[in-house]
Amino acid sequence: MLHLLKIELKKMKDYRTFWVVCGLYFITIGFSTASGMEFLKWLASIFEGFGENLDINRIPLYHFPDVWLNLVWWSGLFKVLLGIMVVISITNEFSYRTVRQNIIDGLSRWEFIGSKMLLNVLLSLMSVALIFLIALITGFIYTPEIQWKYVFTDMEFYPAYFLEIFEYLSFALLLGILIRRSGLTIILLLLSSMLEWIVKLNVDDFFPDAIPFFPLESITNLVPLPFYRYAFMEIQDYVKISSVLIAVSWTVIFNYLAYLRLKKADI
Amino acid sequence: MQTVLSVNGLTKDFGKIRAVNNLALEVKAGQVFGMLGPNGSGKTTTLGMLMGVVNPSAGSFTWFGETPTHHVRKKIGAVLEHPIFYPYLTGQQNLELNAMIKQCPVENIPKVLELVELTARKDHKYKTYSLGMKQRLAIASALLNDPTVLILDEPTNGLDPMGIAEIRDIIKKIAANGKTIILASHLLDEVQKVCTHFAILQRGNLIHTGPVDEVGRGTETVEVNAEVDNLNEILMEFSGTSTITKESGFYRVAMRDGFRSKDLNRFLFDRNVVATHLVTKKKSLEQQFLDILSSNPQK
Repeated sequence: MLHLLKIELKKMKDYRTFWVVCGLYFITIGFSTASGMEFLKWLASIFEGFGENLDINRIPLYHFPDVWLNLVWWSGLFKVLLGIMVVISITNEFSYRTVRQNIIDGLSRWEFIGSKMLLNVLLSLMSVALIFLIALITGFIYTPEIQWKYVFTDMEFYPAYFLEIFEYLSFALLLGILIRRSGLTIILLLLSSMLEWIVKLNVDDFFPDAIPFFPLESITNLVPLPFYRYAFMEIQDYVKISSVLIAVSWTVIFNYLAYLRLKKADI
Repeated sequence: MQTVLSVNGLTKDFGKIRAVNNLALEVKAGQVFGMLGPNGSGKTTTLGMLMGVVNPSAGSFTWFGETPTHHVRKKIGAVLEHPIFYPYLTGQQNLELNAMIKQCPVENIPKVLELVELTARKDHKYKTYSLGMKQRLAIASALLNDPTVLILDEPTNGLDPMGIAEIRDIIKKIAANGKTIILASHLLDEVQKVCTHFAILQRGNLIHTGPVDEVGRGTETVEVNAEVDNLNEILMEFSGTSTITKESGFYRVAMRDGFRSKDLNRFLFDRNVVATHLVTKKKSLEQQFLDILSSNPQK
């Protein structure tokens, strides 16, 4: 397995686009999650009275345990960048026809798609690790009083975050395998949420219970929007088991369909 | 001799079009096997099936007597149609990647680069290579795992005469090492110069298979000219003459079985005629190829 990952990394190591897109992604999620307090301070300096009515240091954005969910939810918004990278990596193999040569040279089709999946796992793990580190550091900086029982509460959002990223990348991989052209695939990837939203609007009138089962809905349902808790005091500070089950099912389906498509294709 | 490849009833349909029809072939160890056929006759599709990138509609084949798996493919070096590499990687990096896929030592890389004379350009990106260099890198990549079988599909496509000669030399060098080579081409000359055996495909059907030597046998044709007026009549008197055709500058004499050009030469000499032009022509593969094709009218 490590061998397959090494092959995939060898393809990417000297590919500048990969470094640019991944660099942008990790820099964006890193800096944006780390500088929330600076952003609030900036808001306070611009809007007169903002800081007087509300003490920004009392907004528990970075307080343990809120920080875990807050940062995970926020960085999840940027996964589309990684998705685009995955699309580029798989559609390149078709436009350069290197998938053909890889198989001629002795990879099985399963190994080929497996190496792509392993890269998706690696990218998801790196996102998790980065956000965990930033949350840990900012939590210690901004939490007024560290209470150890709260520091490691709500950690389940990390496995959920991993699943969110990995499911999304699996979806991107499947789209790439089905469409094979980078431009069209990226457009569809960007439009897919909106397309699903239109379908959901229509379905909602008849089978509202079906909504959580939609593929892209299942991705966003994993990590709930955290800010309700500040507005409505209505807190869902846990990951629903049903959401996890649906998301895992879709992840398996996406990856299996990608494999099936490649297996049947003449390349 | 050990059978390297055995193909049985291999068939591929693309929609309504049958690209390869019920193909049966055997390739033995040490052969340089040429696959001939006009463009679109199913050569590349056949090789694609043998290398696992095209799924056969029917039929089967074995490599080294085993049912094919991706492990078997690692023992075969193959270039199909045109060279395929990652354009943003250098020649060296591309070969390193291929070595990982084929699970062979990277220490082989300098050797194969040397063989195809690309050592000086190995650290340049693949996309900067000329077509000839790309073809040569593809051959280097195919040789990387020191394969017992080499598959080349139109290896000289699009090359200039010098590039063609270079590739041909490389193929001869490899064949001299006892490797089995399967060479698909529509260039007859190429096949005749390097192959020991050949097969002809037409519209997906195998219409001929056999050794190349046989092609050279059969009746000889001799081109003759001499500074006498009645050369035509003199030649008619020769008992080995089958037919005579007049070409510009010489007569083309088709010989009867058992007569060679030296017999004709002696006959002329006995008649006090000295030939100014005497060339023995064996029946070329090209003629044979056209004969076979025309005796199998297109359906």
